[in-house]
Amino acid sequence: MRVVPVPASLDDRTLDTLAGSLGDWPPSEGLLLDARATNWASPYGLTALLTLGQAITEVKLPPARLAVPDNDEVKSYWARCGFFHAAAECFELVGRVAKKPSDAPSDVLLPVTPVRAAEDVHHVVGRIQERAQRILAAELNLEPKATMGFAMALSEACQNIVEHAGTGGWVAVQTYNWRKRLGRKVVVIAVSDAGIGFRRSLEPTEAKKVGDRWGDGAALELAILHNVSRFRDPGRGQGLAGIRRYLGRWQGKLSVRSGTARLGVVPAWDDDVPLAEHLPYFPGSQVQITIPAQEADAR
Amino acid sequence: MMQRIDLAPLLRETVATPYSDMVTRSTGAALRDRIEQTISGASHRTTQLDFTAVGLLDFSCADEVVAKLLLRVAGEEEHYVLLSGITDRHLDAIDHVLERHGLSVAALAEGDGAPRVLGVTTPDVDAAFEIVQRLGAGDASRLADALSWTIERAADALQSLALRRLIQAAGGTYRPLPLPT
Repeated sequence: MRVVPVPASLDDRTLDTLAGSLGDWPPSEGLLLDARATNWASPYGLTALLTLGQAITEVKLPPARLAVPDNDEVKSYWARCGFFHAAAECFELVGRVAKKPSDAPSDVLLPVTPVRAAEDVHHVVGRIQERAQRILAAELNLEPKATMGFAMALSEACQNIVEHAGTGGWVAVQTYNWRKRLGRKVVVIAVSDAGIGFRRSLEPTEAKKVGDRWGDGAALELAILHNVSRFRDPGRGQGLAGIRRYLGRWQGKLSVRSGTARLGVVPAWDDDVPLAEHLPYFPGSQVQITIPAQEADAR
Repeated sequence: MMQRIDLAPLLRETVATPYSDMVTRSTGAALRDRIEQTISGASHRTTQLDFTAVGLLDFSCADEVVAKLLLRVAGEEEHYVLLSGITDRHLDAIDHVLERHGLSVAALAEGDGAPRVLGVTTPDVDAAFEIVQRLGAGDASRLADALSWTIERAADALQSLALRRLIQAAGGTYRPLPLPT
């Protein structure tokens, strides 16, 4: 069994480090994911970790083992985010944790929630509206129109799993105070699935047209920047287009990682690269939508 | 006579969730099937799709329920669609999908006395639509007088409205779609 260290801080930036530690895919031996020294994880990190566990079981390997964080506060927080409840499905957990979800922390607008079918999307959208509207308005200064668009973006991001992944996935929503990175609060939607990814989804219809440049990066560009879908129906591809339109209006950021590439629709406040290619492979697709608190004069 | 289809109860019959949101493409496709069945079983020329009590509407569902329905009725002779009960929770998605397909629809927002045009439009189309709503049936010269336009400009705008099924045309006269009472 190979031991793979989970970064001390697991988020959209450090996922590449975890992916790099996985080696060839699929793994040739069982994995032990060692999160004992992990002291923080974003919703993106938690949902991606679940995707990794799910992907390992889907390639018919024995479930990966996950050594849970040593730190009691971290463990408690992950439990209240619903992580261990979900992780029990796809990992053999090593270490004592409370798997039963209790009250989510106040900054968690949607705990880790599985998305497998359209009914799950209804559930997610219904739940987020009940819980999030007051917090988004009061703490992030988002006007009602922005909170509605937020639920729409969440719905479309989750639907990508149902429509394209070919398997289930996970979603989580949380607010943060990004004091150092932005000096403002943000709300983050993280959606991750262990499915076929953008490249395989578009390959039958698009690979020949693109030619030598075909790969994960080109597939992401087509899907996100040009609204290309594997379906011929001209109404398809509107979900991501709608998300981009919404984020453009509220200075939000979209980041999508699939296979070996990550594409970002990057607002002025962030310094991420628009497209990163030749990254270490990570299974499925990971989407992160970040919306910053609105400044009074920005509206 | 106008056929009214109340979407909120239709949604509850179509998907077994306690929520009132019109989200997901599969939900939209199932709803559109039900709407098309209802339309084909009646002889009305105008269908009112009532969004009252519908929560959120997302892009995928709007594409199925509004855009694809308009594309379908465009193939039928003289069938008109009017949206009603529209709120801020529906506007963005409807506008977005209609623009994408190059479509327009007449829509009555909650609390408004007169409909407006959603989707693809122009200042002339908007102005002509508003005047037709206000003045009722008439011809190009009446519109030209009301807006101080040339007859040709008024006729162009009316033809554009009629082609988009935003008003009804008969010979050289035009009249607004019937409104719910």
